Amino acid sequence: MNNRWILVIIGILVLIAVAIIFYAMTAKKKPSKHTAKDTYEDQAKKDVEHIFNDDFRQELRNRGRLYFEKIINENAMFLQQDLRMTTSQLNEYMKKEITDKLQEEFVKYEQTIRDANQVALDSIAKSNTALETETQTLSAQLMEQFNNEKARLIKRFEENMAEIVNYYVVSAIGSQVDLNDQLSFIISDLQANKDEIVKDINNGA
Amino acid sequence: MAPNDPSKEVLPDQITTPGDLNRLIRELDDLDEYLNQAALRSAQEPSRLPQTSKALEELAALNSLQLLKADDRATFKDLLAKIKQQAPTIHFGFASAPSLTFLSKLVSWLRTNIHPQILIRVGLEPSIIGGCIVRTTNKQFDFTLRKHFVGKHDLLVKALSGREEPS
Repeated sequence: MNNRWILVIIGILVLIAVAIIFYAMTAKKKPSKHTAKDTYEDQAKKDVEHIFNDDFRQELRNRGRLYFEKIINENAMFLQQDLRMTTSQLNEYMKKEITDKLQEEFVKYEQTIRDANQVALDSIAKSNTALETETQTLSAQLMEQFNNEKARLIKRFEENMAEIVNYYVVSAIGSQVDLNDQLSFIISDLQANKDEIVKDINNGA
Repeated sequence: MAPNDPSKEVLPDQITTPGDLNRLIRELDDLDEYLNQAALRSAQEPSRLPQTSKALEELAALNSLQLLKADDRATFKDLLAKIKQQAPTIHFGFASAPSLTFLSKLVSWLRTNIHPQILIRVGLEPSIIGGCIVRTTNKQFDFTLRKHFVGKHDLLVKALSGREEPS
């Protein structure tokens, strides 16, 4: 079976080789017809090379360069205009945003300032109230202490003054009063304490 | 008749202190000794009576006793001994030494109002300035001028403050 297929394949290959050889041999038998045609082509090629020479190519490159530069310049101008417009719009937008933001912040800042001011005013009012209350309390306490101290000093002054006057009177008249002059005074005191003296003498040891 | 209850007898105002009474007793003893010795002597020998004090004579007269009689002298001595033993004593403190007149007046009042035979002891306490301090057996009475002023303290304070005019 396999041999059969191998033979078939070999046969096909032989046929293909024969066909190729035949085609090659037929092609070599027609050289005259193709020679004229090649000449025209060569001449056309030569004319083309004659028309499209280096100067012409250089001219085309210059034109292309100029056109490219023109296109580039136009686009650059458009780009510049767009850029300017964008920049202007961006500036306007930034101004507007910054202004709005600043105004918002200023409003917040003013509100904060007002709140702080109100808090400070409330605190000062409370402090004033507390201070006034404390002042009144302190004044009352001071007045009470002052009155107490005043009463104490007056009392002490009166007591000491009485002692001083007593001492002065006793010292002044003590050496001047004769015992005989004091007899009535002594007897009156004895009379006042007579019962007690009698009782003590009668009951004494 | 001689008295038997010494508390009913009175002492003269000249006899104020226990010292006076002791002197009186010694004087009476001396007189009695002298008269007893004189009685032993012969009647021809002259005798001269010693001079007696006015207080002794006054006390004998107040008690109806004759000093020349031995029995009366014995009674008198017993009486003085009993008075010395039983007479109450009261102490007076004065700022200065009192005079005899002052003591006589004071003793006279005491014997009239407190006890008829009371005797006093006198002490000096210059710090009291005026008045006196009386000490009985168990108590002390301050009759000084200082105490009197202390008692009038409120009156002085009122007078000083103008609330009451001093009288």
